[in-house]
Amino acid sequence: MKTIKFLAATVLTLGAFCVFLGCHSLRRGEPLVGPMKISDAKIARGQEVFMQQCHQCHPHGEGGLGPAMNQSPAPRFLVKTQIRAGVGAMPSFTKAEISPEDLEALADYVLALRRHDPISRDRF
Amino acid sequence: MFHPPRKINPADVALPAGYKIEVVATGLTFPTGVTFDGDGVPCVVESGYSYGEKWTTPKLLRVESSGQLKPIAIGANNGPWNGVVSHKGNFYVAEGGVNEGGKILKIAPDGKITALISNLPSFGDHHTDGPVVGPDGKIYFGQGTASNSGIVGEDNAGFGWLKRHPDFHDIPGQDITLTGENFPSKDILRGHGKVRTGAFVPFGTETKPGQIIKGQLPCSGAVMSIAPNGGGLELVAWGFRNPFGLAFSPEGKLFVTDNRYDDRGSRPAWGTPDLLWEVKRGEWYGWPDFNGDKPLTDKDFKPPGKSRSKFLLANHPGTPPKPVAQLEIHAAATGLDFSRGKQFGHRGEAFIALFGDQSPATGKSLHSIGCKVVRVNVRNGVIEEFAVNKGKANGPASKIGGGGLERPVAARFSPDGKSLYVVDFGVLLQKGKKSKPQEGTGVLWRITRDGGSR
Repeated sequence: MKTIKFLAATVLTLGAFCVFLGCHSLRRGEPLVGPMKISDAKIARGQEVFMQQCHQCHPHGEGGLGPAMNQSPAPRFLVKTQIRAGVGAMPSFTKAEISPEDLEALADYVLALRRHDPISRDRF
Repeated sequence: MFHPPRKINPADVALPAGYKIEVVATGLTFPTGVTFDGDGVPCVVESGYSYGEKWTTPKLLRVESSGQLKPIAIGANNGPWNGVVSHKGNFYVAEGGVNEGGKILKIAPDGKITALISNLPSFGDHHTDGPVVGPDGKIYFGQGTASNSGIVGEDNAGFGWLKRHPDFHDIPGQDITLTGENFPSKDILRGHGKVRTGAFVPFGTETKPGQIIKGQLPCSGAVMSIAPNGGGLELVAWGFRNPFGLAFSPEGKLFVTDNRYDDRGSRPAWGTPDLLWEVKRGEWYGWPDFNGDKPLTDKDFKPPGKSRSKFLLANHPGTPPKPVAQLEIHAAATGLDFSRGKQFGHRGEAFIALFGDQSPATGKSLHSIGCKVVRVNVRNGVIEEFAVNKGKANGPASKIGGGGLERPVAARFSPDGKSLYVVDFGVLLQKGKKSKPQEGTGVLWRITRDGGSR
């Protein structure tokens, strides 16, 4: 009985999460959600790093060759871990490719990009 | 699923606040470029050939204010016409030349066509592209490579050209020494058995370590220039793969879009973004052994389940520079232009048409890629979307629904800099690895800004 309740709760939670995500667009381009105004120099640097290392597979955090990342609930530390370790077909990035300072800036930008959505702006 | 006629609705295209898009002309068949005559009237080229081995007639058309298309010149059966530019009353067209070889055509206002140069190495996967006039008055153009990554193989038969031109192959821009890598494949020409093929040689020809291939002019994968009345062919730079779009910035610097490697053929590569380069005379830009400034031997470029690439050249002509921007993988970055005016805004930024992926022929992807217009800050490589289809997902209108963009292939500003014209090639469906282009579905769009400066 406990197992059935646990499975039901899990399914309901996952379903609610999927419905929640379904209400939020993954798209972040200026024509659709307005310009992303960046006043923080660190986030601006993170945007440049993103363009050099990430944009090609995840254009503006949307899906492309790789999956979309704008809906990811991964916390900041996990974002950085994923960049360093890689996952699946995604390559890992060494300190020579993305310096520790640039990794911090990149993580800031990735999270700012997630928030750049009128609906989910307060979520992260 | 696409059912003709193509739906066209500017309201389905999203733009930044303050801009609007409208339809200038419809019913075009495989348009690839736009320029303006002496009166500022837009003139469009129809390609006359499309991937998918679809042959039509190349044309230069004047777009009247009513949207009516008035022929200026009709070409021969040697498309694709890939881009057009006007200069001192004449038009210059890059003729892709899948039948007779590439040409740069000069077209007088009365429609008389003169070939300024012929026999450009353009029978292969990629063609003669994107003419533009430099500050020195010369005509600059791109010449794409015959193959994906230096080896002629079965994939080239899939394009249709290998059986037409079985001896065709890539030509380097200077003498190179080979590592002697050879690649096995089915003997697609005889229909049975196997062959091994090396780099920069015909299908079924092996190479040896240390073998020297003589450089030639014209060559493959290059930007070259020619005098506006013909003659004086010069190599500007080589080592590109498919330098499709060329444009000079307001400061007079030459930039080129370059479609990079596909996951196909005898030497596939994975995950190589299309690039925007600043072109410097005499540089080598890395093809067939680098993508950007990273060697193709890098683990990141190994296709899943396939081998990591080895170098084809024993000595590289140089170290490729860092690209200006790295666009979406398989986005097919094509025509571009620079904003020059305050009224349109974003002065000095490059506006690039992204034709969109041809997955799975060029490699698999999880989502539709490209099919939009982006702007690039060439100082820091930051890419911003500019014209995209509305909806939850990106992609050509025929796939995601609505009447927005299909396959943007050229972006060019009007002479007064106030309007950005976007040439939309039309519907190109992919049925597995086969391209199915749809005649009469091309559109010329115009984007303008309501006012103010940016």
